[in-house]
Amino acid sequence: MSGPPFSVVPDADTVIQLIAVDRTFDSEPPVHALREVNLTVRRGEHLSIVGPSGSGKSTLLNTLGLLDRPTSGTYWLDGVETNALGDLERTSLRGSRIGFVFQSFHLLPYRTVEENVMLAETYRRPRPGRGRAGRRARAEQALRRVGLAHRAGFRPDRLSGGERQRVAIARALMSEPALLLCDEPTGNLDSENTESVLDLFGRLGEQGMTLVVITHEEAVSGRAHRRVRISDGRLTEEHR
Amino acid sequence: MRSRKRVPRAAASTGTARAGGRAPATGTVERPWMDVRDLWSEALAGVLARPTRSALTTLGTVLGITTLVITIGVSSTAGNQIVGRFDALTATSVTVGVSSADPAGPGPLVDWSGVDAVRRLAGVESVAAIAASQETAGVEVRADDVAAPGEVSGQTMAVVAASPTLPAAVRGGMTTGRFLDDGDIARHDRVAVLGDQAARLLGISSVENAPAVFLKGQAYTVIGILGGVEREQQLATAVILPPTTAADRMGLGTVTRVLINTALGAAGQVARQAPIALAPGAEASLTVTAPADPAEARKGVQGDVNGLFLVLGLVSLVVGAIGIANVTLVTVIERIGEIGLRRALGASRRQVAGQFLVESTTIGLLGGVVGAALGVVVVVIVSAVKEWTPVLDVRLALGAPVAGALVGLLAGLYPSLRASRMEPVDALRS
Ligand SMILES: Nc1ncnc2c1ncn2[C@@H]1O[C@H](COP(=O)(O)OP(=O)(O)OP(=O)(O)O)[C@@H](O)[C@H]1O
Ligand SMILES: [Mg+2]
Repeated sequence: MSGPPFSVVPDADTVIQLIAVDRTFDSEPPVHALREVNLTVRRGEHLSIVGPSGSGKSTLLNTLGLLDRPTSGTYWLDGVETNALGDLERTSLRGSRIGFVFQSFHLLPYRTVEENVMLAETYRRPRPGRGRAGRRARAEQALRRVGLAHRAGFRPDRLSGGERQRVAIARALMSEPALLLCDEPTGNLDSENTESVLDLFGRLGEQGMTLVVITHEEAVSGRAHRRVRISDGRLTEEHR
Repeated sequence: MRSRKRVPRAAASTGTARAGGRAPATGTVERPWMDVRDLWSEALAGVLARPTRSALTTLGTVLGITTLVITIGVSSTAGNQIVGRFDALTATSVTVGVSSADPAGPGPLVDWSGVDAVRRLAGVESVAAIAASQETAGVEVRADDVAAPGEVSGQTMAVVAASPTLPAAVRGGMTTGRFLDDGDIARHDRVAVLGDQAARLLGISSVENAPAVFLKGQAYTVIGILGGVEREQQLATAVILPPTTAADRMGLGTVTRVLINTALGAAGQVARQAPIALAPGAEASLTVTAPADPAEARKGVQGDVNGLFLVLGLVSLVVGAIGIANVTLVTVIERIGEIGLRRALGASRRQVAGQFLVESTTIGLLGGVVGAALGVVVVVIVSAVKEWTPVLDVRLALGAPVAGALVGLLAGLYPSLRASRMEPVDALRS
């Protein structure tokens, strides 16, 4: 099971710790999208979240990605208690610790593949040894990691779906995140392209990347070390 | 924006041993930060992403700025032509004429010492009196007393009397020798100054050997040659004598003209005051020639040009601003997904707003630059057609793009506010 609800400061190896997280939407009628969710993800884990449509998967991912705030409960991300943070700090934390991979890729159509990847470093102070001058080289390196170095100068609309998603993954890797959050990353891909993306996830997992992948496809969740199921806002660990 | 900030820990963590081995970076959250070069290149890429649309968006601003530059440029060019006609010479020259028929009875109407009274008026820079008459307008002048046989007899020239201040008053200078002075006048000396053309006609180029000219058979020592005369150019062919000498020997006793040069803008006032100073009580019998007021004339021209077109230009600018605001708003709505992505990548609300603001400002600046260029071209063409010298104020040429940028900035305020208010979750869903 995930960590006990009453545990406090998580250790250095804990990337995600949710304690009794609730999320209620104030719509009419109110929707209780997450209920008492406890979840711990350790560094290097490859976790998949499965569940039927409307069960709260995206809500959970938005919470993990600091795009949404829980109504109650505590969320520790990479050693930082996020509930107390203001908008600016959450934004910065999101940019520096989390890499997002979306179902619809979210690549800028008017920029080259390389520029899309470079965008990941635009909104933060350069790290020591990672100055602005070396950004293009790092983008190339990230593209090499996903096997797309030869597409650096292309516009996204000339790539296949799988290639686009791998560009998005390269962009997420560019910022050296503590966590890669993927919401239905293969939802728009055919089986062949799905395979190429899943192979990439497999390799990243082996390299020690922490991966949280939302999916409703068996093939996708099958590659994960660990699987949790969410239904009607409640999280349950699945044992295989 | 740039400081690192220690994030406060949750209350729950106090009193609990923290697990060791955490990387020092964890627990510290920096604030979003952006290099201005990145802000600029992102905004520029945004503008260039839809080049046709951006170009069309600038049209209103181009129109407005062009109209304003033309309006201001043409009116200042036209205004300058009026100033040009009333150039430094004309605009500052006042001439007072004394009618030769003297109804006031005995004594001259204007005395030679009246010059000093005029000199004391505010705005007067130089003044001189001249005496000329019908009788002395064509006097035979010889360079030597006896005509050699077969030689053409002397030249016919005007003889005038003038005050010692004449060279300054006609804006001329002595090409050689000196002008008449108070001593010459007091002593009734038989000396003469020649106009430069008169001297050439008489074959006199130097006064070193005290050459003489003969008027009515009497010798006069030439003491200087006056050249470069800008006013009263007929003096170039005249023989100028001291007033006292001229009165004695030529019957040139009374002042007929007073030449006044004024400071720029003082001509009108001097023209009103000079007759009173010259002939108190009899000023009505003097004729004053003064330039029309150039300020009035210029105002009239500018008034014609400015009124309508200035309003037209401003209206175009407002329309241009609305156009930019409209298109930027459409762009923001089209790019909601992009906004969501940028927020996910760590862009703050301010950085998102900043990008759209720079984009709209760039479009306005572009419109301003194109408008200023078009306007300048039109001003030059209009000037060429009217044979004017175009007057292009640097401040106008530089101010126009700035005005365009300002229009873009104002127009971008609302759309960028909308962009920054968007919630990242909602933006990403689109
Ligand atoms: N902003 C919102 N306001 C009100 N209700 C919401 C809002 N967002 C999500 N919900 C509701 O919360 C529940 C969980 O939504 P969520 O998007 O997390 O589902 P999901 O598991 O991702 O579904 P799917 O697999 O179809 O993407 C749904 O019933 C949904 O209608
Ligand atoms: Mg979903």
